Amino acid sequence: MLVTNTGTEPNTIDPNLASFSTEIEQIMSVYEGLMTLDPKTLKPVPGAAAKDPEISADGLTWKVTLRDGLKYSDGTPLTAQNYVYGFKRTCDIDIDYEFVLSVVKGCDDLNAMDHKASSAADLQAARDKVGISASGNVITFQLTEPAAYFASILYMWVGMPVRESDITKGGEKWTEPAGGTSYIGNGPFVLKEWKHNDRFVYEPNPNFRLGKPKIAKWTRVMIADGAVAFAAYRNDELDEFAVAAEDLRAIEADADLKKQVVDRVAAITNYYGFNVTRPPFNDPNVRLAFAKSFDREAYTKDILGGIGKSANNGFIPPGIPGYDENDTVQKFDVSAAKTLLDKASPDAKAALTSIKFTYSSTPRGKTRAEWIQQQWEKNLPGVKIALDPVDPSAFSGLFKGGASGQSPQVFTLGWIADYPDQQNFHTVVWISKSGVSSRRTGFSNAKFDELVRAADKETDSKKRDSMYLEAGKILSTDAPAAWLNYSASKFLRKPWIKGVVDSSIDSTMGQFRQWEIFVTKH
Amino acid sequence: MFRYAVRRVLLLIPTLFLVALITFVLALSAPGSPFDKNPDKPLSPEDQARLNHIYGLDRPIYEQFAIYVANAAKLDFGISIVRHRPVVEIIGDGLPRSAQLGLQAMFVGLLIALPLGIFSALKQNSPIDYLSVGIATIGTTIPSFVIGILLIYLFGVSLHWLPFVGWGDSCGPIPSCDLRKMILPTFILSLAPAAYLTRITRASMLEAIRQDFVRTARSKGLRERAVIVGHALRNALIPVVTIIGPATAGLIVGTFFIEYIFSIPGSGREYIRAINSRDYPVIMGTTLLYAFFIAGANLLVDLAYGLVDPRIKIGK
Repeated sequence: MLVTNTGTEPNTIDPNLASFSTEIEQIMSVYEGLMTLDPKTLKPVPGAAAKDPEISADGLTWKVTLRDGLKYSDGTPLTAQNYVYGFKRTCDIDIDYEFVLSVVKGCDDLNAMDHKASSAADLQAARDKVGISASGNVITFQLTEPAAYFASILYMWVGMPVRESDITKGGEKWTEPAGGTSYIGNGPFVLKEWKHNDRFVYEPNPNFRLGKPKIAKWTRVMIADGAVAFAAYRNDELDEFAVAAEDLRAIEADADLKKQVVDRVAAITNYYGFNVTRPPFNDPNVRLAFAKSFDREAYTKDILGGIGKSANNGFIPPGIPGYDENDTVQKFDVSAAKTLLDKASPDAKAALTSIKFTYSSTPRGKTRAEWIQQQWEKNLPGVKIALDPVDPSAFSGLFKGGASGQSPQVFTLGWIADYPDQQNFHTVVWISKSGVSSRRTGFSNAKFDELVRAADKETDSKKRDSMYLEAGKILSTDAPAAWLNYSASKFLRKPWIKGVVDSSIDSTMGQFRQWEIFVTKH
Repeated sequence: MFRYAVRRVLLLIPTLFLVALITFVLALSAPGSPFDKNPDKPLSPEDQARLNHIYGLDRPIYEQFAIYVANAAKLDFGISIVRHRPVVEIIGDGLPRSAQLGLQAMFVGLLIALPLGIFSALKQNSPIDYLSVGIATIGTTIPSFVIGILLIYLFGVSLHWLPFVGWGDSCGPIPSCDLRKMILPTFILSLAPAAYLTRITRASMLEAIRQDFVRTARSKGLRERAVIVGHALRNALIPVVTIIGPATAGLIVGTFFIEYIFSIPGSGREYIRAINSRDYPVIMGTTLLYAFFIAGANLLVDLAYGLVDPRIKIGK
């Protein structure tokens, strides 16, 4: 038996509504997508699909063939139609993650409809227009433009074969496992029990395509408090514990615990965003000067306790395709920064003495904000930074009106991969106007847009990779943000847990090989 | 008496209405929205607007309130915006555990407070008196979450005597069925009422043994035991008994920290979650229910006064 900590009760485990890691964790144990990921390279490899997708010459039609003899955990056959239903349901009801299927014909149109006001016939007509269909054991996707990253999307929770009969029967409660009769999937595990706010209990799926997983029972408890989780781990009530910086000293002091440490990179980049619509950060010289004038290594060491890696190499973190070791544009270099600052426009220079740094006012946030304030004021003489703490729940609200509205001057940001592809970093985050961080910073760069748009469509993977690399350098140079660090996680794992293959985007222990985990006698 | 009772019950309605109004205004005017789930992955403004429309959050606040009150009057508390489950079901999941925890803690609290309070009053200024006053001070001043973490480390991590994750009520085929899990949270939650009740018992016992009727009882030659139990104690316990009602209600609704620390799936933990994620229907439903508990407990006490102490006349 294996016991891990989910932390808090997920809001939902419906694949078509999920967005958080705790939610995705449950979905990825019960369901398997057409593709899955290789835990080492994070490249998409066939999951329920028999082989890689067949893509038409124009890149607009994708055909995915299912493996033969696939079954749900209860033994009923799994068909191509089940996948079509799952994908279309995302277009229908998902709002958080529907964007990843925007490239599928008709998906956005269906999603944008007012589901309350529209007639059933209109909705059905829009559903029928979505470019996803099945014939025999082949699923066909019609795309609006070529999209090389689409294979990575096929692994995601938005395309799980949720079963229509479970949903019609269970209604809003279809995700309650009801003793293993609802929420039936094709993944490695069967959800037997969901005791709200308390635990999930999983058992192996005897009909999993690779055979029954080795673990007899997997319990996921919900301990929200880190100190309590650490205590539970030491009391053998938990088999794995996610280490926070404040626990490091206790672990260092204990020879047994020290041996149980597991390190894992995480596909997360943290950065300081600059509002490029107002002085001083409307001047790219100022932005790059700020990006080059804080000591990332010291931050990782002193503030993060050595967990994670300094972001010395651009926006895409290590482990994700497109990570660029040659991008040292924002390297810590005080004299270069001062030179850049001298070149700034008079307007921008005038604004240097009244900069407001906005952050979410948690105890950690405060320490971190004070650190960067001190670095910038020390390394860039004349610069004055005022700290502006904001209630964590009000932080997102600051950006509602976009960069030209109430959006603050300098602020903390972060990005975690949805799917491991450059497009999910460069295009989704930084494309002009609609990019997640572009909306907040007001960033737009025509050359960057052109490059990533072309790369998104490029089918030659070599050419595609080099276009993203070029775009990444433009981004680092134009510096709408200063890359701070790439997150990593440290775990304590009991020595009797074996066969875990970690990846940098795991939502759960050994996500992409969870069926191989086993527990030795202890 | 009957008319008084009816009037007090009817007074619950405006009380709850006011509680609902204040909670509603506070909740909706606090910054943030249930759709700001992840600060790094914000929804586009269009999607935010669509969601606000779907959940009726784009209507004027008075209109939302009117709809809420109309539904609540029919005992329909809506569906959690964040959890996508009926509010009644979410509260129903957690409340029995919070109630059990609160009742157990009150019981343990009384077991500690009554003997301690009585003996320290009888032996005023003796070591046992100082001990009980000391315990009462500690119990009131150190917050439960501090004592909680301390005892977890002592009994869980160092001594390995007690498990402390979850609530031991999943008996049956689930191996987590372990009543030992209830010991620490119950004990820690009982400390505050124990301290409080010790002080009240002691004070009212001190007062009672100086009363004329106690002197009379002694002077007519009753044995000391009969004087204390039959005369002093009976009268001294009146304030204690009357406070137990509201105190128990307060315990049941005051289990937030204990539930959070011990990962107990009760309604207090869910309430914290709802507030943090701006889950308005759950905030409203839980607040109303808690208000109902407290108001109801106070009502019962007022009615009980008349029964316990015939000198107090209420209503006509």
